[in-house]
Amino acid sequence: MNDSLYLAWRYLSHHRAKTLLLVLSLSVFLGLPLVMRAMSAVIQQSLMARAQSTPLLLGKKGSSLDLVVEALYFQPKGIEALTASDADEIDGTGLAQAIPVRTGLLARQFPVVGTSLDYFSFRGLRIAEGRALGTLGECVVGAEVATTLGLEPGDSLLTSPSTLFDLAGVYPLKLRVVGTLEPSYAPDDRTVFVDVKTAWVAEGLGHGHQDLATASGDVVLKRKDGAVTANAKLVQYNEITTENADGFHFHGAPSSYPVSAVIVVPNDIKAGVLLRGRFVGDDARQLLRPAQVVQGLNAQIFRFERVLRIIVWTVGLATALMFVLVMVLSWRLRADELRTMTRLGCSRWKAVQIMGAEVFLMVGTSVALAAFLGLAITHYGETWLQNLVLRGS
Amino acid sequence: MIELRDVRFEYSEGGFSLHVPELRIPAGTRAAAIGPSGSGKTTLLNLISGIERPRGGQIETAGTRVDALSPPARRSFRITTVGFVFQDFLLLDYLDVLENILYPYRLHHDLRLDDDARARAQRLAADLGIERMLPRRPDELSQGERQRVAIARALVTSPKLILADEPTGNLDPATKQQALELLFEQCDALSMTLLMVTHDHGLLDRFGHVVDVSAFVEGLP
Repeated sequence: MNDSLYLAWRYLSHHRAKTLLLVLSLSVFLGLPLVMRAMSAVIQQSLMARAQSTPLLLGKKGSSLDLVVEALYFQPKGIEALTASDADEIDGTGLAQAIPVRTGLLARQFPVVGTSLDYFSFRGLRIAEGRALGTLGECVVGAEVATTLGLEPGDSLLTSPSTLFDLAGVYPLKLRVVGTLEPSYAPDDRTVFVDVKTAWVAEGLGHGHQDLATASGDVVLKRKDGAVTANAKLVQYNEITTENADGFHFHGAPSSYPVSAVIVVPNDIKAGVLLRGRFVGDDARQLLRPAQVVQGLNAQIFRFERVLRIIVWTVGLATALMFVLVMVLSWRLRADELRTMTRLGCSRWKAVQIMGAEVFLMVGTSVALAAFLGLAITHYGETWLQNLVLRGS
Repeated sequence: MIELRDVRFEYSEGGFSLHVPELRIPAGTRAAAIGPSGSGKTTLLNLISGIERPRGGQIETAGTRVDALSPPARRSFRITTVGFVFQDFLLLDYLDVLENILYPYRLHHDLRLDDDARARAQRLAADLGIERMLPRRPDELSQGERQRVAIARALVTSPKLILADEPTGNLDPATKQQALELLFEQCDALSMTLLMVTHDHGLLDRFGHVVDVSAFVEGLP
């Protein structure tokens, strides 16, 4: 058998291009079902686990899936916003804890999420280095953000401008990194967390500028009845520091400011049922159970997977037939070699062994490659798969 | 010694039939098989080596009754007792020259590829003047060099009999002469019996025996 394997190996290594093509074709064919299985596992374990750990979610009426995807997985879906008063309303019932979630901002391609400190304890997120959020203008970054951008406490991070070519638009806000989180193997790892008020400042809803009361004359256009009008020379702050923090303020009632969704953590099952009952007839808002929504997504994916499986098997059959055809043609082209083998004294069985060894080496390599691909995706591609599924949902 | 007595053979698909009443080629001698194309020269080699089995008669090659052997025994006999040199060399392009010479050792468990075999292959390559070509592949060699590799492959197992089927048919006259000299020299040195199919009647005086195969053919037009 060693001789057969040796001759097979020499033949295959001499015809590298053909061998590589066949091995890759077979690997793809064998690897696809593994990738599909890995995708299912990701959805079942990762997505479902996060949804199940979030009891209730309050949001504006609309696509429940978009609401869950944006509020739980921080993938932008353009959902309509609630107001901070909706969170206050939940808190006011005494039936549950309300955790606001403000999404929509980015910093170096990572989502910036405005929330309260309760979010960290609710998700079980622990500080790896530094401290938790304290004042306006601070941020805590997820483990992957910290690794990818090389951030540590004391560094800073700019929010991405949402209106780059709009001179009157919102300018980036420089966030101070005060802490990094331990890995949680969830979307939180790829998120920059700020206080919800900081998020509003970053959105341009709150702002800071030099004190008009002490501003020089070339900045002030007029002062009348306590109202001051300034010109464009007024210095706007793009970073919240201890020196200028007092200069930051919000116009209007903070309760009217937007939050994308509110994570609702009922005190007990009964409180949850009561709360859900209250929102049944609400025309503007929905209080939903994320696990139910993700189950629906799951069902859709499994339907898609069934179709995909048929396609994979069809492609697989074509690949297998192509493989057989290539091997048969190859052996026919090698008729002289086979005849020489027989004439020299080689048995037919030995010749079959040599040919079989070629098939064995190619199929074996393909299986190993496909298994490696499947394992790599299962272990390291979870995030990528999660993003793929959620962006397409 | 090669000895055929009252051997009869015909292909199942028809065509000519061969009848060899008696043929003796003593051990350690050179014999040439001549005859027009299609007269059964290759068939005679196939019968002597056990590739084909006769319908009747006796074939004794190197002291073995080849016609009485089972197919596996004939294969074992062939690879251990007979060396082949083909007209078109039939070297494998995916093996280097040394591996081509040692190729028979990869094909049958009766032959053991050990250090002795490797040393013998090296020595043969040196004797045939292809020592420097050992790491190269056949497609990098000239026709004459390839034929020398084919000769080395036939000799490497130290067979008792060399069957050469028009081994110089594809070579130019100068290269042909050189290849033949090498083949003769090696066979003489190792006391091997040589039976060679040839169309070159100018060479016949170099052979101790000449077998006109057309005399054995029945049904030739």
